[in-house]
Parts: sequence; structure tokens; C-alpha cells
Amino acid sequence: MRVSTSSAVEREPSPTTAAEPTNVLIVGVGGQGVITVSKVLAQLCLQNKLKVKQSEIHGMAKRGGAVFSHVRFGREVYSPTIPLGQADILLALEWAEGLRWLPYLNPETGTFISDTQQIIPPFSCRNRKRGATSNYVFRSVEQVKQHVPNSYAVDATGMAEGLGNPRAANTVLLGMLSTALDFSVDDWQAIIAQSVPPKTVEVNRQAFLLGREWIQSDAHKEEREQVEVAKPPPAPVVDDVVIDLEITEAWCKGCDICVKMCPERCLALNSSEIVELANPDACTACRLCEWLCPDFAIAVHVHKKETAIA
Amino acid sequence: MCIKKRPLSHSIGELDYDPTHLNLEVYFLPPAISADFNRNRLSVQGNHACALAAVAAGCRFYAGYPITPSSEVAEKMSEELPKVGGIFVQMEDEIASMGAVVGASMGGVKALTATSGPGFSLKQENLGYASMTETPCVIVNVMRGGPSTGMPTRPSQADVMQARWGSHGDHPIIVLTPASVDEIYMETVRAFNLSELLRVPVVLLYDEVIGHLIETIEIREPAELKLLERKWTRAPPEEYLPFAATDDGVPEMARPGDGYRTHTTGLTHGENGFPTQDPEEVDRVMRRLLSKLDRNRTIVESFELLECGDADIVIVAYGITSRAARRAVKLGREHGIKVGLFRPITLWPFPQQPFAEVAALARKVLVPEMNAGQLCLEIERLCSPPSKVSRMNRIDGEAITPIEILERVKALESND
Amino acid sequence: MTEASMHTFEIRDYLRQELMPHFMCPGCGHGIALRALLWAIYELDIDKDRLAIVSGIGCSGRVGAYIDANTMHVTHGRPLAYATGLKLARPDLEVIVITGDGDCLAIGGNHLIHACRRNLNFTCLMLNNEVYGMTGGQVSPTTTVDRFTTTTPLGNHEPGFDSCKLAAAAGAGLVGREITLQVPALKNLIKEGINHPGFAFLEIISDCTEIYGRKNQLGESPEMMLSQKASTRSDVYRNTVDQPFRPNAFETGVLARNDRAEYADNYRKHVEKTMDVLKSGD
Repeated sequence: MRVSTSSAVEREPSPTTAAEPTNVLIVGVGGQGVITVSKVLAQLCLQNKLKVKQSEIHGMAKRGGAVFSHVRFGREVYSPTIPLGQADILLALEWAEGLRWLPYLNPETGTFISDTQQIIPPFSCRNRKRGATSNYVFRSVEQVKQHVPNSYAVDATGMAEGLGNPRAANTVLLGMLSTALDFSVDDWQAIIAQSVPPKTVEVNRQAFLLGREWIQSDAHKEEREQVEVAKPPPAPVVDDVVIDLEITEAWCKGCDICVKMCPERCLALNSSEIVELANPDACTACRLCEWLCPDFAIAVHVHKKETAIA
Repeated sequence: MCIKKRPLSHSIGELDYDPTHLNLEVYFLPPAISADFNRNRLSVQGNHACALAAVAAGCRFYAGYPITPSSEVAEKMSEELPKVGGIFVQMEDEIASMGAVVGASMGGVKALTATSGPGFSLKQENLGYASMTETPCVIVNVMRGGPSTGMPTRPSQADVMQARWGSHGDHPIIVLTPASVDEIYMETVRAFNLSELLRVPVVLLYDEVIGHLIETIEIREPAELKLLERKWTRAPPEEYLPFAATDDGVPEMARPGDGYRTHTTGLTHGENGFPTQDPEEVDRVMRRLLSKLDRNRTIVESFELLECGDADIVIVAYGITSRAARRAVKLGREHGIKVGLFRPITLWPFPQQPFAEVAALARKVLVPEMNAGQLCLEIERLCSPPSKVSRMNRIDGEAITPIEILERVKALESND
Repeated sequence: MTEASMHTFEIRDYLRQELMPHFMCPGCGHGIALRALLWAIYELDIDKDRLAIVSGIGCSGRVGAYIDANTMHVTHGRPLAYATGLKLARPDLEVIVITGDGDCLAIGGNHLIHACRRNLNFTCLMLNNEVYGMTGGQVSPTTTVDRFTTTTPLGNHEPGFDSCKLAAAAGAGLVGREITLQVPALKNLIKEGINHPGFAFLEIISDCTEIYGRKNQLGESPEMMLSQKASTRSDVYRNTVDQPFRPNAFETGVLARNDRAEYADNYRKHVEKTMDVLKSGD
């Protein structure tokens, strides 16, 4: 949804001549390609004979963790990182990551471009209790525009899927980014072609143009304004279930697996070396004890509260 | 010449159940080749006759491994089974072929395998399993010279004791020993019938000569073969005990997929099929298992008597040797010697009572065998005094000739 | 799979409850493997009447008896041979073999490679606990080098088998491995094996706590299971640049697929084709 009255293209995009460096912050989660995207931009700057500094945090590739990359370029660049509130463009490959870095964006002149894709990491739910709410940060596009009027939310992944390759989503975003910078389309396409696998050059070329056109063309005006970000699925209600841990004492051999493997440490062996539920309140019905009991002595039943009372 | 077969009524009184519903005549008196030349006749090798008979008997699974001199059984089965929708598989070894045969039979399909000495040794483990779990199956052992690799292309009769006692532990087993190609045909059918009826493995034991002999057989009409199926249970699943004794001592079997969900194990098991070590229960189930053949001797035993009514000297011979003995009896009678032949067709359990009756009337008993003396041990056990039994053994890979037997008969006659 | 169906799986529906508790030692991983198998059977909605479990000799062989199905506890090393006969004779049955490292790789090694080669449609679960537990803890073809058993009092000097590589090389339709700690993953792997239209060989890394673990001071079951976990490299990590810090990692997940004709299907087609040729020749 385009919410500003002055679009990026209407602003004067002149990073090559500006006295101050241009600050682009590219963010996402591990595995999305944040680093590749920022390398494309950095390479482009170098070819245009600009000074460029890029600094990044990565290495969370396997854990879905936050990855960001600061790209600063201009006639002279000193610091490698962007100060708070000074980013000219925030390019987010994932919605919540975009929100996380929003304070870095210049609230008046900054441009926010984010994929509406949501990757909800397992540790966004710190509480293992059944039905506990997720901590995944969510704000609607309207809420974002209150902070940065110049905002674009787009289903880039969906658009790339439409082209036949969802992995070209980042190139769609680059096409959008290109409208805010004054490098030539040919330069962009040449760098992108060098950076992607040979078989995907054509689809990436199309993806770039699609992203660029989506922001520039009036044909997409309506689409731009209709984009909605889906709310993450609501967490199940906590209170409507009763957890019932059924222990068949005659089958238990006291091997200790359940006691040691329980993430909540709520099981214990009693004086007869038979397992018992020592801390029922801590049990989250994760079923690990049921699965790992070699003697099938534990069964976890989760009842609706009404049926339990009945 | 007078060929007598055992009268049907013999010893039926000893049975504690009525076997008359089974057409015993069929097991017992295979119809000889009729004089009717319009009937379907074939000239085939013994091993091929075995395969043809197996298919006629309803066998639809064969697993085997090539070994001389039994490979022709496998070759013929590989040709015949696909025609009737059966499965032929050549397994990776003798052990696997026996395992696959028992596995197929546990699935409810009649199954056959064929082998010879070294392969028979390898099959003993799973043969014992079939005995213990009462899984019907038929094993052909075409005997060749031994021990070990021995003489693969030469005949022998040296697996007589292995056929009975080859697998470890006390176990019931039936061994049939046909002496002609047509008898291979009929005994193969009978082997399947006995195996199904009594849930016991049946060994078809014949020597290389009979296996490779080409003779005329008659292809019987299916109705003449009186094929039998094992007793499939119809009990309600919750009441069914897979190893509970019935009247004839043979438990009813449940087919996988029919809703009984039984357990089958080679471990000593109770009536419910699950392992047990309770002495009382073990004693009861093992005695029932081992008594199956005793209780059904009239069905199992088959033999031929030739000139035994007044015989001073009785020859006990089986397989190819019995054919030489038959000739020797004829020659002996021509020489005025009162000599007869007792030919067991069922080798194990040995038809001991009929033989004992014949032996009691004879002064001398001669046991010619192509081994170092195996069946003679059983004959000595059944004769009183044992010293009236004489052995006659050839272990050079050559068949015993009628003249050799006649010479021994003459010597026995003149020794008195 | 939905949460709802997971919650209605009651293992007791698949057990011969009158035989419980089972005879396995405290902490034996075989029980967990059994749960995963029964869970997979539940999710695949396999009729117990049509399910045939063939098992061999040893601790693994005794596992099958607790399943409320058609169970066959056969001779040592031969369950694959019996299963071959059973499946060929009764293609309507769902045949699953439960075997162990000794049963399958030592005495039954020949049957394994030929079962792989034939690619007949049944599933083989090999419970690998690295030891002959039933006979008191002797060395097996998968015992880790230098570990102690009752027949390697000086430490095992023999190299072991990688059974999955063996099965893959011999042509098994599907080859996979999983540890007992990962119960849902194990269940899913077993489902994949059963669904595969050909021979599926699955190695399940189990633990023998009482004998092998104690003799080698490997800790109790939880420690043994966690150390197995630390030794795995799941297939999702395959082809990543950095190999995580595990010198002796073994791979888990689906490790090989051989897209080959299924034996019985092929046999029938071959017979039909040949019969047609014979008929047209007449």
C-alpha cells in the first residue's frame, strides 16, 4: 500500500551528487538472501565509482534469526553503520524484521519497502504453556505509515511465484528499491545477472522490471493501495483444556527417560522408582514423555474443560 | 507274483477318532496307471513329474536354489507356475528358499522347494521351524552321494536319517520315498495332502536315479487326486486358540487377513501361540505336537508287500534299491527260495506294526541300502532277535543290482 | 498431519495388552521404535488384520509379538526370506519386517542384500543397538570400534557396517535412518518407507542401556539418546557449507532412493507379456 503523497520517484534521487552518503538498511531473517541483496547494491555503487561501506550481521542462517546489512554509499563514506533515524531506505525481506528496524529510518524523508511475508520463528513463543500467545510483532500498514509516511508493503514473494520462481522475490524488491535510487536500469540488470544462477537470469530480469513497474506505473496504483498484511494466526485459548497425564504404573520400569527429557522438569520417580507427575502446573502437554517412554506407561490426554468437568 | 497292499481296515480300531470321513483309499492306494491308453499319459523325468504333480496338487509357490540333481524340479516349476498364476522365485540361498516357502505357507498358499544333500542340510533350520509352528510345506530331497559335496551326479540313499532327524530337537516330520516316476507323481500329491491335513512338513525323499529316470506317468483328473486343504478355523476370533488340539490332534489354522491376528513363533508356545516355559504347559503342547503322526498313522503309513505271506527271508528296500529287490524276489522264487519284499513308501514314521507282523514270520531280514547302514538300524529295532537282520550296503555311487541282492539271499538261505 | 488426528492415536489399540509390560530392559530404545511404528500404522490407517509383522531372533525379534496383528517370529536372520515368501504369496498383506543389527547384517546379511536387489514391496526396520543384547552383549557388525563387549574384552578391533550405504548400493527402493529420540521424525520416516512402492530399508538407531551402555559407561538411556542426537546430521543440513562440529556424524532422514521396478509387479507384467507372446506364437 502506498500511503505517501510524494512517491520515491517524485523525490529527487541524487545519491551520486549528494554531499551526504545515502543509507540503505536491508533486513530479513536467516536464509532469505539479505547479504546477497546488499552485495548487489554495493557492487552497483562501486561500478558507479562511488565509495561504499557495507556492514552486516549474519551467521544465524540455520536458526531463522535476524540478519541485517547496512549499505552506505556516496562521494565519501566514513562510518560503516547507519545511525538511528538516519536510514534513507529500509528494505525488509520479512514483515516483522521491517518493523524491528523502523526506528533506524528517517521518519520524514525515509522510504520503507517491505515484503508482507511473515516468517514466524519458533522462539517468538517463549512460553511453552499450551495456547500461550506468540510474541511475533505485528503492526498494520496504517500503523507503519504513522511513523514513516513513505511506505510500501508488497507481496513480493507472491509476485515472484507468479513469475514461476518464488526465490526471485528479492529481485522484485530490488526493482522497487531501484525507483528510489538513480542508477540506470541497465546497470541494475547487469549486476543482477552476474549475481544469480545462470538458469534464473531471465526470471530475475522480469522480476526486477515487475517490481520497478509496480511502484512507477499508474496501472498498479490501486494494487498499491490495497495491499494488506495478514495478521499472524491467533494463539489458541489457554484455558479451555485440561491436561491429564495417565501413568500406567504396572508398565513403568523407572528408566528415567521421561524425567530427564521433560522440558519443564515436571516428572519425578517416586520411592518405588515409578514415574509420577510431581509438578502438574508446569506440564504443557508437549507429549515428549509419552513419545519417549519405551514402556508406553505414559499417555497424555488433553480434554476440553467442559468434558473434563462432566 | 503277488502284490499286496495293506488292508484299509488295519488298526483303525486303535484310533480314537473316526477317520472315515477322509477318503483314506486315496492316500493309501494311489490308482495305478490304468490300461486305458486314451487317458492323458506323459513320458517324463522324475523331477518333472514332481513339479507337475505339485501344480496339480494346488501348489502355487516355489522358492528354490539350484543344486544337482534336483534343479529340474525348479526348472519345471518356473515354467508351470506362471501358467496358473503361481509365483516362482529363485532365492539367494537354500536357507532363504526354505524361509520363503514357510513364509508363503503361513500366508495360506501351498508351497514347495526342492534340493539335495548340502542344500537339505541348510534347510534344516527352517524345516524345524515349520515343524514347530505346524506350517504345511513340502520339501523334495533328491539324494546324491555324500557327505559334504560328495558326488553330486551319483545316486545315494544316505539322507534317510537326516530326513528324520536333521533338524534339532524332537520334531514331527513325514518322509515319503517313491520308487518310480509315476509314484513320484502320486506321492507328491499325497505329500501336499498329508502336509495340509496334519500341518507337518513332508519330505519327498528319492535318489538321483529315480529323479532323472524317464518313465510314463498318467495325468490324473483333478477329481481323482482328492485334494485337501488345511483346516481353516471358523471359530470366533475371541475364542480361537491357534494351537489348541482338536480330535485328530491337529490345530485349526487361521489365515492372515481373516481377522484372527495370531502370533506364530519358533519358541515353545502354548495353545494361544505365545511363548511359554511353564513345565506343565510345555509338556502338554509338546506331547500333542509329537503325537500328531502316531495318532494318524493309518493315514500316513503306506507300504507295499510282495510275496511276504510265506517268506522265510524278507527284503526291506525302498527307492531305486526296491526295484532291484523286486527283481531279486522274482529270481529267488524261481530258484525256490521263499523270499519276499517289504517296501516302505512312507519311510518316516516307519510303518512299524505292519512290518513287525511280517518280520515275525520271517527267519531272516535283509536290508540293502545305498548307504553305510541307516534304515537297518530301525529294522533291527523292530526285529526279534535283532541278529536276524543282515545289512547290505553300497557306498560307491552305484546302484545295487538284483543279482547282488539275489546272491545275498542265497547266502542267507544256505547259512541255516 | 493435523493436531486432532495425532491426539486420537492410542497406542493401546495396537498392542496386545495382555502381554504388557513387555520384556525389554528399562530404557531400551526398541520400545520407542515400536511406538513410532504403531503411530505410523495408525496414521496410514492400515487395517490390523491386513498387517503382517515378520521378525527374527534377538531383542528386536521379540518386539513384534506385542503388536496386535498377524505376527510371525521366525528364525535367526531369516525374516527377510520369510517376508519375501509371504509378500509374494499374499500381496494383499502389508508386510513389515522388524530385525536387528546382528539378525539383519550378520547372520541375515545375504538376505538383506538380495531383498534390496529384488525390491519387493515391503518394509524392513532394522533396530540397531550395536550389540547382541539377548545373548548377553557380544560384538555385532555395527559395534563402534574400541567399545567393549563380552567377546571384545580388549575393545572392538573390527570395522562396522554402514548398513544404509550397503542397502543403497544393493538397490533398495528407499533407504533411511533415524534415531529413537526423534519420535515424530521417525514416525514420518516409517510412513514414507511403508508408502514407498518397493523395498524400504530403515535403520533405527536404538540404545541398549542395560548391557552395552553399562559396559561402556555410556550413561543411562537419556544420555545415550542425547549422544546419538549429537552424532546425527539430519538431511535438512545436507549440502550446507559448514559441517557442524561432529567428526563422526551419521546422516539421518531419507538417504537414498532407487527408482526401480517393484519385484512382484514386474514379475506379473513380465509373465503376462511372455504369455501373450507364447499365445500369439501358436
